[in-house]
Amino acid sequence: MKLRRALTTGVLAALLGAAIIATSAGAASTAAPIGKGKQGAAGVCGMGNGKKAKGAPIKIDGLDMLIPGVDFTTVGKTAAAYFACVNDNGGIHGRPVKYTLYSEALDPNQEKALAKKMIESDKAVGVVGNTSFAECGTNWKYYKSKGYVVIGAGVQAECYSKPSFAEVNAGPRYSNVGAAQALIKAGAKKLAIASPDTISAYADGGPALVAQKAGIPVKVFPTHLPVTDATSQLIQMYQFAGNGGGILIDFTPDTAPAFMKAAQAQGIVSKVMWGSSTPIANTFMASQFSPAFDGHLWIDNEFSNVDPSVGPDSALMFKVLTKYAPKIAPQAFAQMGFLDAKFATNALLSIKGAITAKSYNTAVKKLKNQRTDMLCKPFYVGGLPYHIPNNSNIIVDYKNGKVIQKSKCTEFEAVDKAIAQTRVWEKKFHLIGK
Amino acid sequence: MTDVLALSVFGVDWQFVKPFIVIGLGFGGVYALSGVGLVVLYQATGVLNVAFGAIGAAGALIAYYLINHTSTPQWLAFAICVLFGGVVNLAYGMVFGPAFARRDPLVKMMGTLGLALILLGLMAWRAPAGGAFARFLPLPSSQHLYSISGTNVNLTQIISVGVALALTAGVTIFLRVTSLGTAMRALANDREITATLGVPVRRVEAAAWFGSGLACGAAGLVLPDLLTSLDYAALTFLVISSLAAALIGRLRSLWATFGGGMAVGLAQSVITPYQSISAYRSSAPFVLAIAALLVLSRRRVVTISRTAG
Repeated sequence: MKLRRALTTGVLAALLGAAIIATSAGAASTAAPIGKGKQGAAGVCGMGNGKKAKGAPIKIDGLDMLIPGVDFTTVGKTAAAYFACVNDNGGIHGRPVKYTLYSEALDPNQEKALAKKMIESDKAVGVVGNTSFAECGTNWKYYKSKGYVVIGAGVQAECYSKPSFAEVNAGPRYSNVGAAQALIKAGAKKLAIASPDTISAYADGGPALVAQKAGIPVKVFPTHLPVTDATSQLIQMYQFAGNGGGILIDFTPDTAPAFMKAAQAQGIVSKVMWGSSTPIANTFMASQFSPAFDGHLWIDNEFSNVDPSVGPDSALMFKVLTKYAPKIAPQAFAQMGFLDAKFATNALLSIKGAITAKSYNTAVKKLKNQRTDMLCKPFYVGGLPYHIPNNSNIIVDYKNGKVIQKSKCTEFEAVDKAIAQTRVWEKKFHLIGK
Repeated sequence: MTDVLALSVFGVDWQFVKPFIVIGLGFGGVYALSGVGLVVLYQATGVLNVAFGAIGAAGALIAYYLINHTSTPQWLAFAICVLFGGVVNLAYGMVFGPAFARRDPLVKMMGTLGLALILLGLMAWRAPAGGAFARFLPLPSSQHLYSISGTNVNLTQIISVGVALALTAGVTIFLRVTSLGTAMRALANDREITATLGVPVRRVEAAAWFGSGLACGAAGLVLPDLLTSLDYAALTFLVISSLAAALIGRLRSLWATFGGGMAVGLAQSVITPYQSISAYRSSAPFVLAIAALLVLSRRRVVTISRTAG
């Protein structure tokens, strides 16, 4: 009897012990720090020491556009998620980054006021993660006067032609150039291009130059957002491009689907070649439009494929989103925010001495040869009069609900003198390594 | 036949315009459907319901949510979308109808504007525009594509025109041959006298609110498929084109409203390929409504507001 009781007690104790071990192991696995590793290595958040930062916060702000039909706050929200990961990994030499994101509705007065608030009221040492149809144009002079270099993701011309911005993306003009190049290479004999009317002149101008250079008829369809009759516009584009022609759409995942659904409803998916800028290169869109569009797309992707197996930074982005921003689906805008925050963190970590607006922005200007598996070429700033570090892209397509790479990294055509000059500077100043 | 197909209209050939006619007829069907609903309600209650589009949009968003975030079957979500229109319209009519019954038609209309703004606010709160990815509410019918005279027509476009036509004919017959329809027509003439004759006014009005709400729910279901996106703002402003159709029908004639809806849809779509005027396509409903009112007023007095009660 005593033996049985002892055995029972032993078994129960063993089971309890096993349960405790299993529970603690499970807890450990769910709470395991991410982004841990050697500082400066790919796939690591900041210092990578797994310790929570506790010192005085370093203020970084960001400003993204949010209008019906276009939501760029994904960029800033992902930057915030990366900074949260940095703060869980030792912060900036023990100090956490306090990131505040503002949104604007394409109102220049609001954009001006918020820029002033970030720099003068909030006293943010840096501005990171900005993306807007118009904010570069509105605020570049102000940022320049204050000595700030914004690490963000650009859209309009000023983002790529003024010293105040260092964008991690190529932007719609150059992404469209890449897509137009790919469509023409694939045999498109005509090209119809559509972008939001607010950026059409800049965004569509590049691919139009590519088509003209190739001797191909081209027509631009500036589109007012939100789109109210995608089918009518699409038919106009199809009537121009004709069977076998190219239709290039340059919209975010809020708007592009209306055109793609209209193409399906009109039965013209397989009758033309579809080009697009980066924003629709993500698994969510592929799952919506595959297999209908499989093999019919030439999407210029300014970043690597959104896939954790691409490399350590890509894998880290997936983990960061899962842990710190679970509502954000992995996509190009998340890659932009991730890279914005990653490079800003590298600049912060490189500062010797006090972290001030001056020391941070000087550190940003010194950034060069920033390698990551998310970009074809290393990122740099280099204190140039303008920055177009992202000037080599891949082409992707959909297949079985996934995004697949269709061609390797290719430098897009130097339709603007600035691109040719940029490539000269890259070599001259060793901005992307020797 | 070849000559007809080669017909040039203002420099744009017929073959070029045909797809836009098909698109316009599809949209026209929705405008006609909701326009007829507006006219029936106005005739029975004296209320010009400007919340029509917002109610349809809210129903469509509910259907979207049910399909994408719960395991609700599509057919049930679609039915709920249509029923939502009927129930919300009925609830508004029952709660606010009696209070507004003796007020000026303008006041009655402003009441529904309040409902539209509340619904818009709720939709902006619970389903904000943007949010990185677009919403859709595709109907299975959009998968069925037919080629008619070389132009693609999908089943949703056919359904849109068919339902509008059936509703117009059905309501016309209903108003003529049923006792409820007769009571509605009587209400349209004089609410007080109809009440003294023993007609259950509240019940008849309830039927009008519910019936027109169903039409509004159906429009909210079909329009996102034609628009290829579920944009609650675009759906809410559906009411502008529907109002134009109802005005063309002088808020009285169902068949003229049907014709008005089709004309508005066609006008908006057919001018799209004409670069010089396509920017004004959103003005088409107003231009047509004003033109119709001017033409019709040459022969008779046009009343767009009724004396209360």
